[in-house]
Amino acid sequence: MRKRGVKLTTLVLALVFALGLLAGCAKGGGGAAQVIRYNLGAEPKTLDPALNAAVEAGTIIENVFEGLMRLDEKDRPIPGVAERYEKSADGLKYTFYLRKNAKWSDGKPVTAKDFEYAWKRALDPNTAAEYAYQLYYLKNGEAYNTNKATADQVGVKALDDYTLEVTLEAPTPYFLSLMAFPTYMPVRKDIVEGNSNWATKPETYIGNGPFKMTQWLPKDKIVIEKNENYWDAKRVKLAKVEMRMLEDATAALSAFRSGQLDYIESPPSQEVPNMLKSGEAQALPYLGTYFYEINVSDKAASVNPAAAKVLKDARVRKALSLAIDRKALVDNVLKGGQTPATTFVADSVVVDEKGNRFKTKDYYKPEGDVAEAKRLLAEAGYPDGSGFPEITITYNTGTGHQNIAQAIQEMWRKNLNINVKLENQEWKVFQVTRTQKQYLIARGGWIADYNDPMTFLDMWMSNSGNNDVGYNNPEYDRLIAAAKKEADPAKRVSLLHQAEDLLMKDMPLIPLYYYNNIVAIKPYVKGVTKSQLGFVFFDTGYVQK
Amino acid sequence: MEISKELFERVPAEEKNLNRIVRPSETYWQDVWRRLKANKLAMAGLFFVIFITVLAIVGPWFSKYDYRTQDFSIANMSPSAEHWFGTDQFGRDLFVRILYGARISLTVGYAVSILNFTIGVLYGGIAGYVGGKVDNFMMRIVDILLSIPSTIYVILLMLIFDAGLTSIIIALAITSWVGMARIVRGQILSLKQQEFVLAARTIGASSTRILLRHLIPNSMGPIIVTLTLAIPSAIFSEAFLSFIGLGVSAPMASWGVLASEALQGYQLYPYQLFFPAGAISLTLFAFQLLGDGLRDALDPKMRK
Repeated sequence: MRKRGVKLTTLVLALVFALGLLAGCAKGGGGAAQVIRYNLGAEPKTLDPALNAAVEAGTIIENVFEGLMRLDEKDRPIPGVAERYEKSADGLKYTFYLRKNAKWSDGKPVTAKDFEYAWKRALDPNTAAEYAYQLYYLKNGEAYNTNKATADQVGVKALDDYTLEVTLEAPTPYFLSLMAFPTYMPVRKDIVEGNSNWATKPETYIGNGPFKMTQWLPKDKIVIEKNENYWDAKRVKLAKVEMRMLEDATAALSAFRSGQLDYIESPPSQEVPNMLKSGEAQALPYLGTYFYEINVSDKAASVNPAAAKVLKDARVRKALSLAIDRKALVDNVLKGGQTPATTFVADSVVVDEKGNRFKTKDYYKPEGDVAEAKRLLAEAGYPDGSGFPEITITYNTGTGHQNIAQAIQEMWRKNLNINVKLENQEWKVFQVTRTQKQYLIARGGWIADYNDPMTFLDMWMSNSGNNDVGYNNPEYDRLIAAAKKEADPAKRVSLLHQAEDLLMKDMPLIPLYYYNNIVAIKPYVKGVTKSQLGFVFFDTGYVQK
Repeated sequence: MEISKELFERVPAEEKNLNRIVRPSETYWQDVWRRLKANKLAMAGLFFVIFITVLAIVGPWFSKYDYRTQDFSIANMSPSAEHWFGTDQFGRDLFVRILYGARISLTVGYAVSILNFTIGVLYGGIAGYVGGKVDNFMMRIVDILLSIPSTIYVILLMLIFDAGLTSIIIALAITSWVGMARIVRGQILSLKQQEFVLAARTIGASSTRILLRHLIPNSMGPIIVTLTLAIPSAIFSEAFLSFIGLGVSAPMASWGVLASEALQGYQLYPYQLFFPAGAISLTLFAFQLLGDGLRDALDPKMRK
């Protein structure tokens, strides 16, 4: 026996050696190393599924965790941890049956209790999750989040380890798509409780998705590797994804061209037209709107009282919006084939399975209307900008945002004779500035959480954690609440249209353009899906050289 | 021995002047200027510095373009007779923007060195002249300040002040005077042992008078050299700060900002990077040459 053992060791050694050689050869030829190097673009503020509100971190969460459902390449829900589900006739109750072989990356089974815990945790007022309202669809979700109900009353219950019963407030046509959204990911009580840093260390960042995080070097890279404990691990071909955090688009492009990155998003705008022409980059659909937020809350006064006062006037906000030539902005500054935004809800958002779009009108011309803007400003008491205080646009560091801000600064100066100061902040700092409403005008971008106008509109309800502008209009809240309860699709859309009308009348935000996604991918990277919602799914990806 | 009249000879007129000093007498500064003039490289530096300063002051008045008006129809134009250095992606004339940039960069350079001069000379002068425990204490503070990389304070200071020209100047001045203080202190330490200081003290001159009238003027050589070298370093620090986004806010642009903006499209429009980068390099080079020349000219040992 012993002898054999020795022989075996020799054999193994020889095999390892031979494999090593093969692997060495492989780089040039056939079986390429299954590693993709992707540029995340920014250091995530948090990777905690309940606390995250940013798209970059969302990409990591989507790959490290798996919800009850996943999204296919067309963003349609397909079974994830849930093997199958039952939906009651009135659409108010879902029963999910979890697959028994779903495991966490440390080998423990994924149970219905993990979902119940995670959802209640995100709703817990003490967690203070910005995205808590994403779970308001659950019965008593909002009530619990606002301290009006107890955790036990929330409409989610693990009947046993593998059965989860969910009760909703109102029939929600897109509820299954939501099951794939980061906030709905399961987390483990034994890991999360009492350890507020669990999501920052690879050892405690335990997920149940196709990948697991193995390294996080702040400001440098996050590495996720294939999770062998994933129930469908045989489907995952990639061994490793290295996510770099190059904030500077030019640097990222150089790294891409020199072969240090395989997948980058949003290359520098100057380069985009040529990259699209040469096929180096491609434009993908993206459900999102780029806009400027105007701080209409009382906190704006602590930034600059005079400017806060003028921005409280809806006429001023409208004048600012109309003085922007969005067409020039898109054609000359962005140059990436985007569309000027004339509504807040992104133009490709649909309202039914047939693909009918929500957008039915333009609230203003893409070129703007300078004469009307001047008239409104004069009416508000600042003819030709006289007496108008200096206002500040705050944006996160990035050449693209800076270019847009510079163009708008000049449009406001030229058209309205208003002085604008520009201020850039690092992404992490900027997110805090925005949520704490310590700005006058800030850059905003909203990517749909699911393909429905509601995702664009319910964030401006007065109790929403993402309502960074402090917009508070009871009539608006009423319309959205009514739309959420409305079972008739046509009436629901009509309510949402009324809500958008109101939002564009009050104008606490200035839509600028609808996003599209410019990505540059090396030809040997295959199968990686970029969702219209912004996330990148690596589970289907592989490298073929 | 009898001294007869014949033994004497009349000195010819030309020999009468033999004892006179051969060279015309000149003051220290005349001498410095003479030697500086002989150094062609230093003179080239000096002329360039004067040229760029004058250009920065008057240049923008003669141009029909300004630094902020955007015109997308002429965006990203290559250098031409109309736009000498081309235009940027917003269609702004790059030549005019570089001239405005020179105003900012040179203002920072000069203002920082004036503050640097005032703080550094007084601090170093007092430490050197008073000596003893005071000197020890003051110089340890300098050591501590020197041991922390100045970029760190500058960035921290920029967080306290709002970003802008004044705060850049203050931030850079606060951190750059320590080198000057050390040099001045060294000079004063060796000068105060000399007889003229003793003489001044004997006739009852006050410490302030001795310091300001005797010691500091006599250390002017090294001070001026340090100063000429401090200007380019301030310009460079500002360019660097602007480059990483802590500088003046748009649409104003210093040379560093211009270079940073051009970086986005440098593969397509290399001239947008070339001109501001060239302006920074040439100006720094000119100041270095001038400083080098001044060091030679001011050094009494190099006197020929």
